Amino acid sequence: MTTMTSLTLILALLMFATSGRNGVYSFISLVINFSLLFITVVLIAGGVPAIGVSFFSGICILAITIYMGNSGESETDIAFLATILVMIVMLLLIVPIEHAAQIQGFSNEDSEEIEAFNLAVGVNFEAIMISATVLSTLGAIAEAAIAVSSGLQEIIEQKPEIELSDLRKSGRNIGQQIMGMTFNTLFFGMFGGNLALFILLYKLQASFGYYLNSKIFVGETMLVLYASIAVIMIIWVTSELMVHKLARQRKKNK
Amino acid sequence: MKLTKRDFIMGLLIILSGCLLYFFTTKDAFLYKQPILRITHVKNGETKGTVDEFKNHDQQTNQIITGKILNGKNKDKSFKVRNTYTLSKGMDQKFYVGQQVFVNVYQKEGKKTISISHYKRDTYLLMLCWLILMLLFIVMRSNGLRSIVSVILNFILFLIVVQLDVMWNITSFFWIYAISAIIFTALTLILVIGWNKQCLVTFAAIFFGTTTALLITVTAMWLTKDKGMHYEALDFATQAPKQLFLSASVIGLLGTVMDAATDIVSTLFELKRSQPKIHFKQLFNSGRQVGKKIMGPLINVLLLIFFAETFTLAVLYFRTGNSFGYTFEWTMSLGMVQAIISGIGITLVIPSASLLAAAALGGRDR
Repeated sequence: MTTMTSLTLILALLMFATSGRNGVYSFISLVINFSLLFITVVLIAGGVPAIGVSFFSGICILAITIYMGNSGESETDIAFLATILVMIVMLLLIVPIEHAAQIQGFSNEDSEEIEAFNLAVGVNFEAIMISATVLSTLGAIAEAAIAVSSGLQEIIEQKPEIELSDLRKSGRNIGQQIMGMTFNTLFFGMFGGNLALFILLYKLQASFGYYLNSKIFVGETMLVLYASIAVIMIIWVTSELMVHKLARQRKKNK
Repeated sequence: MKLTKRDFIMGLLIILSGCLLYFFTTKDAFLYKQPILRITHVKNGETKGTVDEFKNHDQQTNQIITGKILNGKNKDKSFKVRNTYTLSKGMDQKFYVGQQVFVNVYQKEGKKTISISHYKRDTYLLMLCWLILMLLFIVMRSNGLRSIVSVILNFILFLIVVQLDVMWNITSFFWIYAISAIIFTALTLILVIGWNKQCLVTFAAIFFGTTTALLITVTAMWLTKDKGMHYEALDFATQAPKQLFLSASVIGLLGTVMDAATDIVSTLFELKRSQPKIHFKQLFNSGRQVGKKIMGPLINVLLLIFFAETFTLAVLYFRTGNSFGYTFEWTMSLGMVQAIISGIGITLVIPSASLLAAAALGGRDR
């Protein structure tokens, strides 16, 4: 048995032990998301346009993450709608910046790893980078959207006569708590993922100016910055949509 | 929402600051020691088709770039340099008029020649940072800016730790990162929650979750004799790769475990505040309910981040005739294992955070 199989089994067991049936659902959704991502890479390598494939698999990933384990109530629908809106906005933001910043493909620091390869393999590395960036933000926005929408729903249920402006304020409060922690998750994820790179850059005695301009560092930092922007936007969009929903409901009841 | 005169002025200021920053970063060449060339003229040569041994079709184009140096000794001097780019742009890029590039200047037989070092990207990086600050300000007002302080502090600490690691250069450098992880946690929690009982409970839960997850991982690695773990595939590794991998895992693990633990503990403390008579058992169960809800999405966050990082390399492997299994093993498996370790940490922190918080809050009233 390989180390990865044994760790996966341990994870599945622990998920079941701590959360019962919910844990099993969550595990299955992880497996499905993994398969979707793998299929996406295979399709891109096969020559299918990268951004198109990723857009569709992104919607599937969002639907699976949000609906599996959460019953299909109205606030779940709002979370889903908000994540799709934000994903589209992110795509519109990422495409021009990525084109201008030229951080696709590989960097000079990568050269040892890829020296055996001929890089002219006839794919669009820029589109691949854009797809990877958009997909990497989805996990964080799905999590935040669920947290904001279910938190606000809880408040509406406890205090049905709440003023719209108060609800908006609550959304901001919940959002702030989530944001602080999500930023930490994202940044620690980046530090962890790039520890070796940071050590290497330090050993190469890279100047501050090099950090600001090198392909690898700018690329990795932008990945986290995009995710942070997406999280801020999702908090705002989700709470506005919840307020909008409540306002519409009240109008109907009158 | 009504727009007041103040909002209007604010909006104007925000746009103005963005324009100023953009203008400044495109003209900041004087701040750099390395010469920067501003491209004034590009002449594209003929495009050649290329085919590699795996029948991948690509195109290669030569360009002759003319430009002016913007800073340093050779300021205002004009130079010509050749650039080759491919259609896929794996490690090269197509240059356009108006772009700025870092160059190296060589003295050769009394004549100066240059070579392109790297593209100038600071404008885009800084504009993105500006966008985040402005969005934070618009959506959250000044509170939003505070939440970024802990991130910046952690980043500075992280750089110091990396520096220490390189300077001391000890064999078991894993402990440097393990100890700094504890400091990161304490610092972040005190900044986010404040110095109180809630902070202590959260810290204990995180410590337990992270350590146990790590122990389980190391045991599993030892029992399976690291089968299928290609530590040598770790990018940029300049130190013992397995220890480097474990250090990286601890830091990645910490972020998610912290997220889960704070969610659970703060919900339980809030619950106790609104319903002072609540029992130990009810508290424990509510904690697990919260945990159930956040577990799946949180593990997904890391899965997506780690997987996305491997996209480019995986495509390259597939295009050059490697099998699914081989590509997975050499490009994705380490990132996957990191995500799985974090998942184990999250599942462990759910019961421990619920138990500790419930014991701290409900123990006396039993």
